[in-house]
Amino acid sequence: MYPIWEVPHLTAGMVLGLIATFHILPSHLSVSAMWLNVWLERKAVLEGRPELMPFVRRYAKFILVFCYVFGSLSGVGIWFAATAASPRGISALIHNFVWGWATEWVFFLIEVSGIFVYAYTFDKLDERTHLRLGLVFAAASWLTMVVIVGILTFMMTPGAWNTTGAFFDGFFNQSYWPQLFFRTTSMFSIAAVYAVVVAAREPAGPARDFVVRAAGLWGLAGLALAAPCLLWYRASLPEAVRGTLDALLTPGLKAAMLWAPVVTALYFAGLAWRPRAARFVPALAAVAVLFAGIFAFERARELGRKPWVLPGYMVSSGFVVGDLPAKGAAAQLPRLASEGVLASAPFVPAGLRTVTDLNRVEAGRMVALLECSACHTLDKAGVRPLPALVRRVGLSTPEDLAAWLDGLGAYPYMPPFIGNDADKRALAAFLAKAAE
Amino acid sequence: METAALIQTLSDPLGLPFYPQVFAALMVLTFALHIAFVNLAVGTTALALWGFVRGTPEWKTLAGASAKAATASVSGAIVLGVAPLLFVQTLYDPFWYASNLLSAAWVIGFVFVMMAAYGASYLFLGGGRAGAAFGAAALLLYLGAGSLMHAFSMQALAPEKWLGWYAGAGTAATSGTALHAFEPLRFLHFLVPAGTAAGLYLLLRAWYLRARPDMDREALGRSAKLGAGLAFWATAAQALVGFAWLLTVPQALAFYAHPAFLAALAAGLALVAYLGKLALLDADPAGAAVPAAGGTLGVILAMAAAREALRGALLGRFGFSIAAHRVTVDWGSTALFLATFALGGSVLAWVLTLAFQAGRVEGRFTPGPRVAAWGRVSLGLLAGWLLVVAGYGLSVTLRARGL
Ligand code: HEC
Repeated sequence: MYPIWEVPHLTAGMVLGLIATFHILPSHLSVSAMWLNVWLERKAVLEGRPELMPFVRRYAKFILVFCYVFGSLSGVGIWFAATAASPRGISALIHNFVWGWATEWVFFLIEVSGIFVYAYTFDKLDERTHLRLGLVFAAASWLTMVVIVGILTFMMTPGAWNTTGAFFDGFFNQSYWPQLFFRTTSMFSIAAVYAVVVAAREPAGPARDFVVRAAGLWGLAGLALAAPCLLWYRASLPEAVRGTLDALLTPGLKAAMLWAPVVTALYFAGLAWRPRAARFVPALAAVAVLFAGIFAFERARELGRKPWVLPGYMVSSGFVVGDLPAKGAAAQLPRLASEGVLASAPFVPAGLRTVTDLNRVEAGRMVALLECSACHTLDKAGVRPLPALVRRVGLSTPEDLAAWLDGLGAYPYMPPFIGNDADKRALAAFLAKAAE
Repeated sequence: METAALIQTLSDPLGLPFYPQVFAALMVLTFALHIAFVNLAVGTTALALWGFVRGTPEWKTLAGASAKAATASVSGAIVLGVAPLLFVQTLYDPFWYASNLLSAAWVIGFVFVMMAAYGASYLFLGGGRAGAAFGAAALLLYLGAGSLMHAFSMQALAPEKWLGWYAGAGTAATSGTALHAFEPLRFLHFLVPAGTAAGLYLLLRAWYLRARPDMDREALGRSAKLGAGLAFWATAAQALVGFAWLLTVPQALAFYAHPAFLAALAAGLALVAYLGKLALLDADPAGAAVPAAGGTLGVILAMAAAREALRGALLGRFGFSIAAHRVTVDWGSTALFLATFALGGSVLAWVLTLAFQAGRVEGRFTPGPRVAAWGRVSLGLLAGWLLVVAGYGLSVTLRARGL
């Protein structure tokens, strides 16, 4: 019920999706890369193999710039975009999990100072201390994930939180462990894919071969361990989520989730078998394949959540539809059904608060902005465009559409219509007009 | 709708998991550090550009060091900015979100401006004319990003105007492309201290590096003199801007008589006097670099507290007070944060100590037994954190399954 941000054709939610998608690339790298790097550095130091060090240095610089310029900022970007797309959703999350985010932030502080010091002290610190610094960075970086997974999974499976309102009941929910294990195992494959990009530009020789083969084996191991974790994760999802996924997952997303790991596994196997064949451009292509796979997974996670931002409590449009007595929060639904959304939402132009024959369509557009624009563009084309979808339903009169709106909540992925009769008839009039 | 009622309607019904004063204290602390790093980033970028323009070998060295310091400062500013961003949404959700949504396109734009600016900062390190062009671009973009944040903050302070901005024209203005509030004097009050920061950077650098025999002590002495002068004049100018800005604050609030303001004022003037002594009378200002920087941080903290008091007074006009937030104490997550803060602080201090000690010697540095042991403890702390949290998590999971 804050002001609405309309992005032509796209929706604010899609802007969030795009930024979050980009963030995948640096964020997963920062969490995973240093494990491989520290392992190699350890070999170099303890087994006396200094020829591995040029790669280790280069990989560190790459992490510094890529993850801590574009990664940090796109992470902040997700936050801003989530605000713009769903201020009530982010607000609810923050008022629950502020200490969780603050905890993650402490590890983030260690990460950022750690990578700067690590990347700039290869020649300044004795080898063992430097190694330990790398390990501290790797640990802190992974711990940010241990924290954030609690919040991410909460958004899909809030567990006992709906009754107790307690932080840890929401945090350690039914999909927490499977998702943590899935992300932890697959991160080694992610580190490996990037490592080959960096290694491919090293001069040919046994050191490069060693790094590439190690990356291939790490990658294979990561995938092999991640596969059962993914099944475990899927099994931890509620029936309703799986139903929504069945309805919304496109063939493209399904294909990406299936084929990206398969192609990546073949790629890793090839690298392990013939490391000398590693090249820069194919390595970049592997990043693209990886990206498609992660994108599909994250997208599915988002789709499966519909219509909720916080299951059982708040829907995507920001309305509270479930009570949370533990925190004294009550559903807005009954009140809005009598008073009306247009009459009581704070950010509504004065002339649209009362629906008349003259302003009905415009008032209906306002209702659509408040209730539908989180998932649909109101433009003719773009993300789930309302005009086209209404045509697809096949109803054209305001009366029929108003009756159809009564059943909106029966769609697994849409919230029920919220508001009183005047709101509904206005929205129906707008939909009818838009679909003409 | 009355402004007070509007704020009530927007306020998040979930309340807070701990007392608002604690969040406020953390917000003031982290904001002070954030803005210090912002000033350092802007100041060192500008200093590096100036050094490039001067072009003598000595200036070139300074420019290179300063540009590198800028990249680290920006990272510092970003991490330290995340915390107040979190806490402002915790305590002032209606104001922050309404303001953000009114200018949502710019809120997203901010992120891209920062990415471009930070990328340019790294390209600045490449040196040469092209590098300098990137440096200049970075500086402009940082100022642009700062202006945006300033506008969001100012809009947040004017809830009585939101509806007019959004729906004044009769239809909802949903493009998010408008910026509605800007107070040049207040913005300047955030910007001028970049000069102080650049001056302090030079002082600290001279103090830090002169312990190294391979450094040119005379050149360091000259840069310290320059730094002291810069810090002093910028801080004096900052005091004048501050008085001018004070005139823009609604008189009815009598903010000029607020204890928080008076404390910040006194601290600020004392700093001006101290820096004046350093710049004008001291033969060796580098020796006082640490107290000068510490004193400045103290003043920034006092100013951040005064800023918070002003926000309280401005929003109090609409019946809003953070003390009125409903609190449902969640001991578990509070303990999680406090323990992590203490433990993480120790790990962080170890990392920074290593950097500090290593940079001060020529060649490779091997830490002494205490710092080495601290490193082992740091790893142990992180492992211990994981064990405790995972163990607790397991018990929560088992309980949820009725085991
Ligand atoms: C939580 C997100 C969400 C919200 C909020 C939402 N929808 Fe949808 N809606 C969807 C999804 C997802 C689909 C499926 C799109 C597809 O099949 O391509 C959909 C489909 C539709 C369809 C086509 C239905 C059909 O049977 O083919 C219509 C019409 C529609 N929505 C209208 C609305 C209206 C009107 C509102 C506001 C009152 C609304 N939606 C709010 C997510 C949402």
